[in-house]
Order: sequence, then structure tokens, then C-alpha cells
Amino acid sequence: MSSLKGNDFWRSLEELEDTPAFREMLRDRFPHFVALANGPASRRGFLKLMGASLAFGGLVGCRRPQERIVPHASRPDGRDPGVPVQYATSMDVGGAAIGLLVTSFDGRPVKVEGNPGHPASAGGTNAVAQASVLELYDPDRSQAVVRNERGTRMVQDWAAFDGFAKSHFEGLRTAGGEGLAVLAEASSSPSRKALQHRVAEAFPGSRWIEYESLSRDSERAGLRSVFGTPTRAALDLSRAQVVVSLDADLFGDHPDQVRHARDFAAHRTGEGGEMSRLYCVESAFSLTGAMADKRVPMRSGAIPAAALGLAARLLRADAGRGTLAPILATQLAGTAVTDGDRGPLDRMAEDLLAHPHDALVVAGPRQPAAVHALCALINLALGNEGHTVRHVVDPDGERVSHGAAIAELAGAIGEGQVSTLVVLGGNPAYDAPADLGFGALLEAVETTIHLGLYENETAGKCGWHLPRAHYLESWGDARGWGGTRGVVQPLIAPLYGGRSDLELLATLLGESTGGQEIVRETLRADFAGVDFESHWRRTLHDGVVPHGGEFPPVDSAGAGGTGLDLASLAGADGGGTEVVVVPDGKVHDGRFANLGWLQELPGAMTKITWDNAALVPPADAEALGLTTNDRIALTAAGATVELPVYVMPGQAPGTIAVAPGYGRGSAGHVGDGVGVDVGPLRTTGAMDVIPGVAAAAAAGTHDLACTQDHYPIDPIGESGMERRLDEIYRSADIEHYRHHPDFAQHVVHHPPLEQMFKDHEYDGHRWAMSVDLGKCVGCGTCVVACQAENNVPVVGRQEVENGREMHWIRVDRYFRGEPDAPRAVMMPVTCHQCENAPCEQVCPVAATVHDREGLNVMVYNRCVGTRYCANNCPYKVRRFNFFKFQDPDSDVEKMVFNPDVTVRSRGVMEKCSFCVQRINRVKIEAGNDGRLIEDGEIVPACAQACPAGAVVFGDLNDPESEVARLHAQDRSYALLGEMNNRPRLRYLARLTNSGEGGGHGGGPGGGHGEPEEGGHHG
Amino acid sequence: MFVFPKWLNLLRPGLALGMVGGPIYALALAYYALWPRTTTVGYQPEQPVPYSHALHAGEMGIDCRYCHNTVDRTAAAGVPPTDTCMNCHELVRRESEKLIPVFESHATGMPVPWQRVHDLPDFAYFDHSAHVTRGIGCGSCHGRVDKMVTVHHEELLSMGWCLRCHRHPEQHLRPVDTVTQLDWVPPEDQLQMGKRIAENQGIAPSSDCSTCHR
Repeated sequence: MSSLKGNDFWRSLEELEDTPAFREMLRDRFPHFVALANGPASRRGFLKLMGASLAFGGLVGCRRPQERIVPHASRPDGRDPGVPVQYATSMDVGGAAIGLLVTSFDGRPVKVEGNPGHPASAGGTNAVAQASVLELYDPDRSQAVVRNERGTRMVQDWAAFDGFAKSHFEGLRTAGGEGLAVLAEASSSPSRKALQHRVAEAFPGSRWIEYESLSRDSERAGLRSVFGTPTRAALDLSRAQVVVSLDADLFGDHPDQVRHARDFAAHRTGEGGEMSRLYCVESAFSLTGAMADKRVPMRSGAIPAAALGLAARLLRADAGRGTLAPILATQLAGTAVTDGDRGPLDRMAEDLLAHPHDALVVAGPRQPAAVHALCALINLALGNEGHTVRHVVDPDGERVSHGAAIAELAGAIGEGQVSTLVVLGGNPAYDAPADLGFGALLEAVETTIHLGLYENETAGKCGWHLPRAHYLESWGDARGWGGTRGVVQPLIAPLYGGRSDLELLATLLGESTGGQEIVRETLRADFAGVDFESHWRRTLHDGVVPHGGEFPPVDSAGAGGTGLDLASLAGADGGGTEVVVVPDGKVHDGRFANLGWLQELPGAMTKITWDNAALVPPADAEALGLTTNDRIALTAAGATVELPVYVMPGQAPGTIAVAPGYGRGSAGHVGDGVGVDVGPLRTTGAMDVIPGVAAAAAAGTHDLACTQDHYPIDPIGESGMERRLDEIYRSADIEHYRHHPDFAQHVVHHPPLEQMFKDHEYDGHRWAMSVDLGKCVGCGTCVVACQAENNVPVVGRQEVENGREMHWIRVDRYFRGEPDAPRAVMMPVTCHQCENAPCEQVCPVAATVHDREGLNVMVYNRCVGTRYCANNCPYKVRRFNFFKFQDPDSDVEKMVFNPDVTVRSRGVMEKCSFCVQRINRVKIEAGNDGRLIEDGEIVPACAQACPAGAVVFGDLNDPESEVARLHAQDRSYALLGEMNNRPRLRYLARLTNSGEGGGHGGGPGGGHGEPEEGGHHG
Repeated sequence: MFVFPKWLNLLRPGLALGMVGGPIYALALAYYALWPRTTTVGYQPEQPVPYSHALHAGEMGIDCRYCHNTVDRTAAAGVPPTDTCMNCHELVRRESEKLIPVFESHATGMPVPWQRVHDLPDFAYFDHSAHVTRGIGCGSCHGRVDKMVTVHHEELLSMGWCLRCHRHPEQHLRPVDTVTQLDWVPPEDQLQMGKRIAENQGIAPSSDCSTCHR
């Protein structure tokens, strides 16, 4: 490892260390086949199965399928059979929403897109939103009202509950609401807030508790102490020239991540020779750390001291100039900078000072309130307010923090003060702090009512479980992180007769108002004085209320901070091993655990599917004698959790990261028993950072289904791989780029490329794609979007381990540098639609052919499954259906299929088609109207979903098109172009802005030198 | 020891014939059985309502697009909703027993479950609008529907059949305003006219796989 050159990229520690297992995997020509050869399936069994399938196949094949056409009795206005329609709606997760446009085919929502008119989306989405259609059609969703009485589960109906609720809540109302408690998920819905107030009025003695296990309340508390009123920070990265992130994952787990990714991308192309700079100080390796120009691995417990050091350095560097407002100086009086050495913090401070108004310091939810307060003070002092950060009024008002609220509720239940508990969504029996023993407390309450999408852990402990309507089935409203007020409108009637939160709250109040009327009522107050119906229709069409409805800014004039004990931050770290709880952007707090698309999405940094793991830094792993797939026991506060180990390069020493939301017991068929529940480690006051954890090796091993070494692009064998990876991912520092703007063209030198074949002629369109590596944050949204659009199957944990995942687009993650503090880069790879496609030349049955627009077309019906094409594909983007992966048991599962794309069966190859169905749709529409196709009119699913706008699609034969412009840029390069494949997908090399001046920084590796005589560049 | 009697040798030619001819026969049978002309052409299912195209489209001369009104805008021609029937039958033939399913549908809002006649495989994506707006007549694929009392499958609608026209559209192109005229007779100079239409409107149908298979 020590021989490692600074420029080299590597995919995994196994590869870097060149372990025997990795060699074996590379040597094996058919890695996918290993399991079949060694597995329990015998040849005899295989023949038996094949024989039976043939016989049955023959029988059905002869009969003509009889189909019925069932038209509407009365066709609604503007509805054409088979034509997709988009409706605007919003999806709220944890109290902040993004705006969506959902595509519906004949009344069946199948695809989620971002709403370009909603600032929290701007057309982009995240993986969770993309997967929400799968949740809608999940057959494991709860489908009936359930009554649990003395351990027996009885299926009942809404009439039974309504009858019970009428008398029960009338009784409570006459008793003044004493004993009633409502435990609700966080929600941004103004209508729910209104109903909350009405519940409080009708039941004056009641409690209302809001709880989220992944809470941002430390930020709330910190900003409150600065501004004196509940405050929220809305960031505008598009204006930030220097960003310092202190343990904040702006692109991974922030509610406004989609907007952040798009805003940040604005200054990452190096156009005009200028770009922004991102510093990241963090414990666990996050997407933000991967995007950072300078990343400093640091324990979460040590970051408060670093924040203080940063502030002190700012003051020191500013001494005499007095640019910084006195607020910071007063707060920090007496805080000396202890570290005399010039370190990264000094550089951050200088950079921040050099960019007043355009700088930003931001802390993550794991950091204590005082760090957030300090960040706000720094931002105010630098004049960033109103530029890179907007401090706005928090819509939640004066509520107690999530942690305190649930602890208080637990106390009240313990004292017998709660006789009726209504749980509105959420799963406190699973994710409440472990020391509260909330599951047992639930059973101590006389009447418990749970409203949820699934019969989860909490539902099993409640007297009543009520099916909840999915957001695609219900009326509602929601606000974005910055306040944008959106509407939630149903695209389909509740499949299982569920009710929304709003409707249940109305039931508690003894009313039977429908969701739509509740939402209209809330809006009526806002639309006072205007024509309500026309405004309502406009809101439904746009998805947001006219004029946005952003939160108003707080008054920052009086900001100064009260009761801040900033000096204590210096000694915040107690030492020892800390466990940080980092959501992995897939299952969130466990609520999305039953969604196969998300479970099978490789973790952004780890590439782990179907599991969570203890991410252990290399040094700690070595000290403990552990490697990946071993097991580790983590003990804190008397609880021990055993997890598989994943050695995570770049993680701060002394920090072990774990993902919440796994190890569910009642998630459903998909999510049950996936991963390990880390809940027992999380206690009140230590939900996100658990200090003083005892870590020890545990017995046994656990094979993680990890895709990081799958499909290695390996053109000349493993010996050349280490060198070639630099040619695959091209990047340079901006300083290098200024002097060598064409650096990306000079990475690979090869003799002139001779064309062996007759050139294709493309006289119509020439579809092409450009992927900007400088913009891509590696979030994986494109993977799920492609899965939703193209009916890509979920193959399950075992098949992923066998290397048979089916994703048409994957995000390769490479590390660079020493394993203790490497940098990470992301590279989405999908079919390159080569003009000289190697796959086409080896297919014996012409199942993969070239079309006249240059698409490399896969013809499923011709494919006989030789898999020669996949073996000959240098990009390893072809996927083979080893089994009939798409074989839904129930009709409701079939509803999620996109009817425009063929559902593939066993034995055929498949791959990215550039979303040919979308191309054809626009081509036909334009042809019908007798017009030309406009640039940007055709958007493949990956490009549409990408929050950063890194993927651009278009026609190369149109010189004015965006993609033609990007392909002509100096940063543009073809991956493995020296093979003369002529790929239509080209990458834009990534630029970094390390500020370290000169040198290659992230410059090209081995190949660069004087161009050889007659040599060509690729 | 058992020895086969000599007369068994007489069976040998027959056996040889069977071994060679049998597979050929089986193949021919399978080919015939699976040929679209055998399986689909002539398919004429009974509909829940004995609706006669011969009466409506033929005798009365109602334009195809009166009922199939999305044919020039969308992929599906669109089987009409019950409301379309009721536009006339609100007043006409109120007493007819044959129309009871339509009246019931109108009263209850439940659809009439028509039997699909023309059914392409699910992996083939056909778009009506792309054809009728470019001058391919309804009759080119559906035959003389105006003469069918009960609609039957007239043409092969196999891939080879589609490709014949995609490769030589001039044989079937006609002025766009005549596409719904089922009794339209191609002029003598059809080929010249078809070529002219194709040139004027830039019609160059693709025979790429991706045109119909996605």
C-alpha cells in the first residue's frame, strides 16, 4: 500500500491490496456463473425445470390470448386513453417537502419527476421520491382496520372504528381532553397545524408530541439561541464561493439536498476559470466529503473544538481590520487559538474572510446546538445573511425538541397520565430512544390508536391499527425547507381504503370532513380577497400556491446569542470510540425499509446493498484485527449490537458509522430482517453521536452484498488496472486546468485510429449524452429513476452477491490517495451507445443492432442469451436476466410497470436504451404536429431525475444543442475512447479547486508527457 | 437367443420414411399452426353488443373519427365511451333489446366489456396517430370495416407485414384527408402519388427495431 502513488484511483481496499479474493474474481471469466456451478442447483434439477417450462410454454403458446377493452362509460374531459398525464403534488419526509410531477397512465401513477416550478426540486428529485410509487403499490401495506385485543389480531372495518371513535372521543372531550396524547410524525402541512390547534382547543388537557428519530433539532436550538426565536437556515449554494461544512451532509441527508446539489453545481464547471471551493470537516465519509475540494476527516466529537478554532482564527486573521461584526468578538472573548500551526483551519478562515457575503459555514445535525449557533454567528459576521444563507422563521413555532418531547411523553405514560394515545404515522416502538422502553410503555396505555402505511412494530403494540392513505392517494399540503407552499393531490383513490392524517384528525374532532375540503379550508384563509376557485385551480396545476409562500426572514438585527457556553465546546470530545448514526439516503429512519428499489440501491459511499454495516476506519479495523465482512460488537449504555464490518477508507479514526432503519421486525416481506437495528445504542441525548462505545471483534462473519468490485472496467487485464483507472476518471485542479485547458484530451495517447468497418450514416438525429463529473454528487437518484422508468427488476440480496444486479445505470465510486484520508469520486456509467459497438459485432443472432440514429438497440425477442455481448462490452453495462425476476404475485405489483417499456423475461440481455420510449414519444408528437424536435424536449429518466443537472441529452446533428456544445468543450472526453468505440456518451472531466496552487492536484496520471510523433489523443 | 424374424426387414423403408418425414411433418404442422394467417386472420369474436360497423360506418356513413376520436392524436384509436353511443341512442332505438348493455352502462357508469379483435403483442408499440396523420388509411390495416357486420381480423398484422409497408410506404400512402374513406380506391398512379406524398411530407418510415420495440 505504501507504494501507492498519489494520483492512483482504486475502487475498494480489496483491490488496492490486491487480495487473492479479488484476483480470483477477476480471473473468473464468468463471475455470475460461480454460484450456479457450485450452488445447490444440480444439472438434473436444471433439466427437469427446463423440460417442465418448455412443456407449459408450448401449451399456452397455441392459444390466442383473449383481451377485453373496457372504455370509460363517460370519458373525463381532457383524458385520452393510454396517454400519460402529469399531476403536481408534494412529498413530505420528516417535515420538509419537495415538489413533484407524477406521471399517470390511465389513472395509474407510475413515475415521479421533480416539479420544475418548486424551488426545493427545480425539476430534480431524490432516490426516496423516485421509489415512492413502489411504496404505493406495495402489497405489504396494511389493508384493513385491525383491532389487537389481548394478543389476538382481529380484522375490522372503518365503520367499527368510527363507531368506537365517536363515543370514545366524545367522552374525552367532556373530560376536557385529560389523558389524550397525540404522537405525530413531523409534518410541514399547514392544514395539519390548523387541525392540531383545533384538537388543542377541543381537548384542552391533551398533549401533542412531535417526534422524529432523525431530527434536526440541535440546529433549531442553536439558531434559536442566536436569534431569540425559532429559526431555520435555508441555504443558497448557488451564491456561495467558499463553503465550510462541519459534519454536514448537504447533498446526502439534508431535507433540501436536491436544491443544494443543483445550486452547488452552478460553480463547478470552471467556466471562466473560476469556481467555488468546498471544505468539509467530517467523521463519516459523506457525499459532501466526496464533493469537497479539501476534506478533513475528524471525529464528530472533536468538531465542536474545530468550529471554535475556526471562529478564533477568523478573529485573529481579521484583527485590526474589524470586518467582523462585534457579535462574534464578544462571544469569543477570552478564547485563544491554541493551535499555533498553520493547518487547514487557517486556510478556511482566510478563504472565508476573502469572500465576505459569498461564504458559508454550515454544521450538520449531529453537532450540538452551540456549534450551529457559532456557525450562524460566523455567517452573520461575514455578512452572508441574505446571500448564501437565509435565516427564516421556523414554521413549528415554540415546540419542544423531538427528544425532549418523547421523553416527556414516556414519563407521562409511566405516571399513568395518558389513557388514550393516537400515533399519527411514525414507528416509535422501533425508533424511540432505547432508554425509554417505548414499546413496553405503549402496551401500558389503555387505548392506543396507530395510523400507518404498514402494520409495523408500533402497530403490533397498539389496540387499533388504521391503514393510512399514501401521499399519492390523499389530499394535503406541504411546505418545502425554505417554505414553498405546495399542494398534495391524490392520483388514485386509496387502494386499501386508507385515510390521511388530516382525515383521522377530523374524525377525532367528531367530523367527517374529507381531505380536500380540509385543505381548501386552510387555503381559503390565505386566498382571502381573491377569486378562490381560480387560485385553487392554479395551485393544483402548478403544485405550489401562487407567489410561493416562502418563510419570512427573522429579524437578525438583534441577533447576538444568549446563554451560549461556547468555551465549553473546546472540551466537548470525551475521547474513546464514538458511534455516529448516519442515515444512508435509502431507508431513512426505517420507513422505506420495504422498498426493494431502495434496498438494492448500492450505498452511495459503500456500495453495500440489502444491509447496513459498521463502517470502521482502516486504522481502527487493523487495531481490532477486523476486515470487511467480519463482525463487530458495539457496546454502549449496557446495550450491545453486533454488526458486519465494512472497512471504510477516509473515515475519521475513532469513529464508527452505522445506518439507522435496518433490522426491522415488521417492515414487510422485503424489509424484514435486512441488516441490524442499531436502535439499542441510541438513547436520549445520544441519538446521533454515541460517545464512549466499546468496540470488540465478534464471532462469525457476514458476507455483505456489496457491488463495489462488480463490473470492473478492465481493458488490459488486472496488471494495467491501477494505471488505467486514472484514464477512466479524469480530473484536474482548476490551477492546472487554467494552464492546460485541454488536459482531459491528453491523458491517453494512442496511434491513429483506423476504421475497420464502413461508417454508419446518421442523416437524421444523432442522440448523445454528456455526464458532467464535476456536477455529479453520486446520490444514486438516477439509478432508481431508471429502475422506475424502465421496469428494471429487483433481484434480491443473494443475486446481488452473485453479481447479477440489473441496474441499467450504476454509479462507480473510486478512491484516490492513502486509505486513511483518500478523496472519493463518483462516476455514473450506463450504455455508451457506441458508434462502433463491440457488442453488436459478436451477437450471433443480431439481437443487438444499430439503428439509424445511432442507438444501440437491444431486441429482446431475438436474444438467445449467449451473453457474448456482455463479455465484449468494455463498459460492463449489459445485464442478463438469469431468472424471471419480474414475476409479480399480485396484480397490484404489476401496476407499477411503465406500460411503454417491455417487461423482460428470463434468458435475455438488457441494457440502457437512452429511454427510447421517450425519444419515440416526442418524435411521434413532433411528427403529428409537423414541427421539429426542440433541444431539451427529450429527457431520459436519469437526466430528468438528476438533482445536479449533470446529465444532458440531445441531438449531436443539431450544432446548437446543449449536448453538442458540451461534447465540444475542452473538458469532454470519451471513456476508453482509444478502443475506437466512438461512444455517444462523453464525460466532462471533473475540476477541483484545492487552492493549493500549481501541480496536477487531481491531475492526470501516468500517460501525460510530450505527445508522441503522430500520436493521437483520446 | 432371440433373433428378429426376417420379415421385419420389410418395415425398414417405412421406418426410414417415418424418421425423415415425421419431423418434417411436425415442423410443417407447427409452422402452419403458428402462422398468423391461421391464428389471427379471420378472428371474429362475438361482442357484448352486436354493433354493426356495416350499418353505422357503411350505410349511415358515420366517419371513423366520430367514435374513434383520438386516432389522430394518440397511440390508441380509442374505443368510444358509452356516452358516444348515447349521443344518438338517447333518442334512437330506445326499445332495442340489443342495446340493453349500453343503456345499463350508461345508467350504472360501468363500462361495456368489448372483446379486443386487433391485438398486437405487448412488446410491439404501435401508434395510430403516427400513421393516420401521415396518410395511411384505416382500411389499409383494418380492411373494409364498413362492410363488416361483426368486425373480424382482416390483415396479418405480423412483423413482416408491417415491414413491407415501412420499406415501401408509397404503395399505401394517400392524401391525409382521405384516410377514413374506407371505400377509397387507389388511383392508377398510386406509386407516383405515394412517392410524391412521401417526399412532400418527409415520410421516411424507419425499419429499425427501436421504432416499434422498446
